[in-house]
Amino acid sequence: MVIAKGDNSAGGKPVDWGLLTQVKDMFETADPMPRDLPERIHFALALRDLEAELARFADTGEEPAAAARGAEESWTVTFDSDSLTIMIRVDANPDGSARVDGWLAPPQPHQVEIRRADCSVSVAADNLGRFVFDSVPRGTARLIVHPVRPGSGEDAERGSFAASKSVMTPALTLLPRSRR
Amino acid sequence: MIMADNGVLPQGTVSGDDRRAHVAHLVDRAREGQMDAAAELVTELSPMLWHVARAAGLSVTDAEDVVQTVWLRLMSKLDTIRTPAALTSWLVVTARHEAWHVRAAARRQQPADSEWLVTIPDPGVGAEENTILKEEQRQLHGALRSLSERCQELLRIVAFVPRPDYDSVAAKLGMPRGSVGPTRSRCLDKLRSALNGKGDQW
Repeated sequence: MVIAKGDNSAGGKPVDWGLLTQVKDMFETADPMPRDLPERIHFALALRDLEAELARFADTGEEPAAAARGAEESWTVTFDSDSLTIMIRVDANPDGSARVDGWLAPPQPHQVEIRRADCSVSVAADNLGRFVFDSVPRGTARLIVHPVRPGSGEDAERGSFAASKSVMTPALTLLPRSRR
Repeated sequence: MIMADNGVLPQGTVSGDDRRAHVAHLVDRAREGQMDAAAELVTELSPMLWHVARAAGLSVTDAEDVVQTVWLRLMSKLDTIRTPAALTSWLVVTARHEAWHVRAAARRQQPADSEWLVTIPDPGVGAEENTILKEEQRQLHGALRSLSERCQELLRIVAFVPRPDYDSVAAKLGMPRGSVGPTRSRCLDKLRSALNGKGDQW
């Protein structure tokens, strides 16, 4: 065994690394950390500076998690916030990535971002509130809608959202199942 | 310095110096706001924090919250952390502090549950989980449970501390190095005795 610098015995008595390793192995088996915890923390870190309103799954009578787990090739989910409704449809691309089509209501050309723990992509919604991400890697992601700056008088008048904070969806699993 | 930006963090039998260089590099990059470096630290060191929180007797949900809280807090402390050992120490001490805080709050919310006050929370192994343990691990678990609460917590924490950072963390946990029976050494001795008491070879 390599004894690295800093490996010191305690009080003149060598530390029983073998026994400690057994203790470690035992707890790793008996009470392991939830496997997805690091990824959830990555998210929390990535979002910590963002002051955003959290959108809710809209009550469409369908359990979103169940929809996401379904075997169908595409699924649709709607989120509500006080200022904005976001609907997205997720389809599988042949290469295994996800295509995300979305609509904002009321329609506004906001900046829409898909943020993952390790990267983010943004697109602009058009004047009808539509936006498309052609290819997003499968995995956990959040959608964040950033308000456009109220540049024109019309935008500023359009209501609270243009001047207010971003809206963020709960974490979504894009294409949880591997496609054949 | 030896480092592999995309490599797995060296640990265990890998030279402690390589690991330290790599962690130091990650801390530097995280301080500059590079999230992938912070993410790698989170991936590498969260299991240790999980076991610190669970060793303090927290529920799964509370332990998850504590681990996340510690990392969020670290982000504003990175400027003050200069060495990997300091990082490990800060994480462990903060997680432990946070865990006890959460436990105390839970305790205040359940004043009527007097039994809860005196019962040591299960450190994580129930009957169900026990079935997935090998026989020798069950014996080890049994031996651990026969120790004092303090020893159980201590051993579980130090078992997950990266070896090169061990002394630093041990010192921070109030287990001074020195010839007068360090607590962790005593706890390990007790554990060994408890195991031998079972009459099985280890």
